[in-house]
Amino acid sequence: MALTREQVQGLADLARLDLSEDELKTAEQDLDKVLGYVERLQEVETQGVEPFAMPARTAWREDVSLPCDHAACEIILSNFPERSGDLLKTPGVFESPKGKKA
Amino acid sequence: MKLNELTIAEARKRLDAGDLTSTELTKACIAEIKNQNPTLNAFIEVYEDDALEQALRSDERHSRSECLGALDGVPLGLKDNLLNQGKEVTSGSNILKGHISAYDATAVRKLKGQGAVILGRTNMDEFAMGSSTEHSAYGPTKNPHDLERVPGGSSGGSAVAVAAKMALGALGSDTGGSIRQPAALCGTVGLKPTYGRISRSGLMAMASSLDQIGPFAKTAEDAALILEALQGPDSLDQTTSNHPLFVPEWKKDLSGVRIGLPRQAWGAGMHDEVRSEVMRGVEALKERGAEIKEVDLPYADEALAVYYVVMPCEVSANLARFDGMRYGLRVKDLPLFETYAKSRAKGFGPEARRRILLGTYALSRGYYDAYYLQAKRVQTLIRKAYEQAFTEVDMLVTPTAPNPAFRLGEKTTDPLTMYLEDVFTVGVNVAGLPAVSVPCGKADGMPVGMQLIGRHFDEAGILAAARIFEESD
Repeated sequence: MALTREQVQGLADLARLDLSEDELKTAEQDLDKVLGYVERLQEVETQGVEPFAMPARTAWREDVSLPCDHAACEIILSNFPERSGDLLKTPGVFESPKGKKA
Repeated sequence: MKLNELTIAEARKRLDAGDLTSTELTKACIAEIKNQNPTLNAFIEVYEDDALEQALRSDERHSRSECLGALDGVPLGLKDNLLNQGKEVTSGSNILKGHISAYDATAVRKLKGQGAVILGRTNMDEFAMGSSTEHSAYGPTKNPHDLERVPGGSSGGSAVAVAAKMALGALGSDTGGSIRQPAALCGTVGLKPTYGRISRSGLMAMASSLDQIGPFAKTAEDAALILEALQGPDSLDQTTSNHPLFVPEWKKDLSGVRIGLPRQAWGAGMHDEVRSEVMRGVEALKERGAEIKEVDLPYADEALAVYYVVMPCEVSANLARFDGMRYGLRVKDLPLFETYAKSRAKGFGPEARRRILLGTYALSRGYYDAYYLQAKRVQTLIRKAYEQAFTEVDMLVTPTAPNPAFRLGEKTTDPLTMYLEDVFTVGVNVAGLPAVSVPCGKADGMPVGMQLIGRHFDEAGILAAARIFEESD
């Protein structure tokens, strides 16, 4: 099945990827090829077959907060793209809450 | 023989006997890196001072008759997606350039606990997405057997580090063949352990239900030594198993071992010389006592399709964290949505973006049942097909990859042709099984790999068979 340009643009918006016209066109072609290949799954009879799920471990560790050592804290802070003291700086959440398509 | 050409087992004996120091061994590896890495681009960063310091500590321990384990003093490489506290680790991506690890991956912590010497981090396809190590922000890695050809991927840097004798062993990660395929294309041993055998804590996730850390080594025996050091349950990864730990069970021959050749895997779509070389390998296993029989393993093509649905779905979720907020690249001075969208578009390469879009599509409303849920149902059928095959035989043998190493740039324009290189390896991840690739002759003058697939947690069985094959080859 072929995807429309609008669908691909919609996926890019959902995935928060700002793609150029050329990149959207390439994505459209690539997705069509891969979707064409995986289409064969539709032909497999799976009536009554359970979707596979990894069995979860029965033993869980205690949910306790552990102290973060000073060196690790410093590294985490140093990885912030922008900071104000020990606080993470981000763009305002309420300036364009639903994005450009809002 | 140069010191860097030693196997880990040989080096261990000489280190223990006191006729070799870790400092000598580490210096030999660093010299080889300086000699070859400018051409091969296997290491993207070398920790020369740290490595020599760790080697010195190992030698000091030896002089006090202390030894932390089989890997004490042994120089190894780490794929660039394994966290190593205080070091830059980027998954081969621009979006993480400059990112410093805040903690050690469990596997890295265990290596350090054994006194291993960490030489540096190795090149990879961005976020482990690719089969050629061409999709890296640091440029491609070259195959040491022919510089015009790819080393395979995604753990191409680790494969080349071992194949070109720059390290005695290296760690990689395998989601659909990312250890076994580059091992095959470069002529080294590569082991993908059973899902749950080694903790994934601190491994940057690509597809969490399929990812598994494993070793590259010169021999099956060396791969076993690294697996022993890394394995075991971990409270930081709830998918690690409480199954009894791996213990090597080396054998004199393969009498009583039943080896299956899956009919569907040995059909069309394989290079002639790959077929004849791996058949020759099967004959060698037979001469050493194995019983060889054809078996039915349905859903071989469907396994690749399941993989290319489930994997991108998990990729789209796992890579959502790279949004320019808490770490990684941020395009600044924009409103929130544009910060996300421009940072991600700038930071991710084409293959990462492609898989994110694919996963976003397969998980979106109206398509989830047809793609993701159907793929998970077929995954159940695939696992049952392997279980059925393992009632008839003890292990399965296929080529690791359908073709020898291809040329740089040959498969980058059409993603599907690259994906098809994974056809023999992905089923193992979909079923969560262990598999090892061992060097098995040459095709077009390039190394070929033979893949041995075992039952869940039967690394001992496939490694024993691999070692017997090495001895007879």
